[in-house]
Amino acid sequence: MTQKANKVVCPSCGAENLPGTLFCIQCGTYLPSGGPLRTEPLPEQEDGRPARPRQEGQEGEEAWALNIEVEVLNTGRKVLLSADREILVGRLDAAHGVFPELDMTTDGGLEQGVSRRHARIYTREGTCFVEDLDSTNGTFLNEERITPYLPYAFRDGDLLMFGTMRSKVHIYPNH
Amino acid sequence: MTTIDSQKDYYAALNVSLNADDDEIKQAYREKAREYHPDSGHGDAERFREVQEAYEVLRDEVLRRAYDRQREKRGLSEDALVGLALSQSRTEAYPLNEPQVFYVLVDIAPHTEEQKEVTRQHLNVALVVDCSTSMSGVRMQNIKIAATDLIESLDSHDRLALVAFSDRAEVLASTHLMDNPRIFKSALAALIPSGGTEIYQGLLAGLEEVRRYASPEMVNHVILLTDGRTYGDEMRALTEARRAAAEGIGISAFGIGEDWNDEFLDDLARSAGGVSRYIRVPSDVRAALKRQIQGLSTMLLQNVKLEVNVAPYVHIQAVYRAAPYLEILEHSENNVIALGNVMADEPVSVVLEIVVAQAVTGERRIARLDMVGEPITASEPIRLRQDVTVTFTLEPKEESAPTNLLNRLARLSVFSLQEKAWRALGVGDVHQATTYLEYAATRLFDMGHRDLGQAAMLEVSRLMHGGDPTKEGRKKLRYGTRSLTSPVR
Repeated sequence: MTQKANKVVCPSCGAENLPGTLFCIQCGTYLPSGGPLRTEPLPEQEDGRPARPRQEGQEGEEAWALNIEVEVLNTGRKVLLSADREILVGRLDAAHGVFPELDMTTDGGLEQGVSRRHARIYTREGTCFVEDLDSTNGTFLNEERITPYLPYAFRDGDLLMFGTMRSKVHIYPNH
Repeated sequence: MTTIDSQKDYYAALNVSLNADDDEIKQAYREKAREYHPDSGHGDAERFREVQEAYEVLRDEVLRRAYDRQREKRGLSEDALVGLALSQSRTEAYPLNEPQVFYVLVDIAPHTEEQKEVTRQHLNVALVVDCSTSMSGVRMQNIKIAATDLIESLDSHDRLALVAFSDRAEVLASTHLMDNPRIFKSALAALIPSGGTEIYQGLLAGLEEVRRYASPEMVNHVILLTDGRTYGDEMRALTEARRAAAEGIGISAFGIGEDWNDEFLDDLARSAGGVSRYIRVPSDVRAALKRQIQGLSTMLLQNVKLEVNVAPYVHIQAVYRAAPYLEILEHSENNVIALGNVMADEPVSVVLEIVVAQAVTGERRIARLDMVGEPITASEPIRLRQDVTVTFTLEPKEESAPTNLLNRLARLSVFSLQEKAWRALGVGDVHQATTYLEYAATRLFDMGHRDLGQAAMLEVSRLMHGGDPTKEGRKKLRYGTRSLTSPVR
């Protein structure tokens, strides 16, 4: 087993951090939690099998395909979105080329403090993340305001609030 | 499917006691559900859902037991003044043959909502005001306004002394009960700036005044207001502060303007379990003093310490205070961390960076935390204990670090970057300092703190052109990032 392989290399400054480090000691960049060693054994340890290449992992990818349903609590509107692509949450503004997948204009987004580019939602290896895009009024996960540009994992039934717009998320496997 | 959320107080949602039986819970649920049902007169969908969620957990024997256990872990069920709750970055990990990092957020907070409204503590305070020439004009005017406010906000059981200092100290009003505030108001008129700044003299006189009536049932404290550097008496002042701490007297220091020495004031206040604060414009004195008095009067515990016992293959890499302000904490060789005071309205959070050098498969207690503190209202110290356990397994579960831990770490990391920059500058490594400040600026912009980001970039460009950083920029960054305890706007 090589020792080096376990170190978390910062994508921003290249500094090596101990496994488990969440923010690079050299430059403070957020290192997505855990790194590779959390869930998968190192390639060397995988009894001879090669490391799983992404494009061949269709089975795995398939298993991770998710649908996210966002229920806007004040209007009761439910939006079912496929999470195989990134979901932009915000308000439609054609003039400025903002076309969010989840457009909150009709839910009173402007009045409730939803920014045009408010947040993005995406999945990575079966986990859903929400990231605030430095919106004016902030994004809240289960009542706690999240730091802009940091991905936060959320689960089925969690409350997401964009500005003061409350919504509940449901996660379904995509079949 | 019902999920348990130990962050929520299901018992409070139904307004039942911890040992309520099934019938009581059912009864409480029926009442609450009727009250909040969206179709009823004063329906509240949100509350209704909470009530339902609480009922679904508490009605089920298995779920209720699991929830109780989680509550206990969070320190919610103990009958103490404060609770000790832990959040870990990971609870399961791969047993690596090399060092790996675990973060633990330790929250020390008053227990329940009711206890937040604690009885107001009696204060025994000396206000020590710098009266050097530089304080004349707007600064002194604002201090007088702030002091008047303070006098009016105190209760008739509190005690106050007023001390002025320049090259020497003068007790303008010795310690008195506040039943006659006029004495103090007329003493304020005698605050006339002249001379230099000798903090030791003022501090000593202030401590003497507090000592006269110091008692363990009161909050004994010296508040120091200064705008200048002290020369040559730093060591004596620090020794005096440490002596005060041993006697149970706290010190907090307020620096006004740009000319005071932030490192010295920090050390001084920290030695006595307090904190230094930066007052950029004189008109902020009023609010700062008010908050300070408010904090002191809700003090729950003093001389709080966190004792960390680690397994032989484990060591503590760093300790930070994450609330109510950010600070890099020192941990002695035996891993005892001094935390100072805990106020009822200001929960204290600490983040531990723990390194496990070599892990063996199985459930391991990597650290045991003991919080010890002296309640103002009781003579016996209280002690709370929590264990940090990690299960090392070849197939650790997917888990993401808890939101509150991530939030705090993000800010601590920026704060540490700029602290590292000043430290590098202190040993003459301008290049390293510039690099750290640039990284700090990037993170600050990322987080939406444009003001602080710009301040950092300004200092970077000064350093790159061979200049010295500005005193103002340094204080703005140090004290600005220190108070990054909640997200922007």
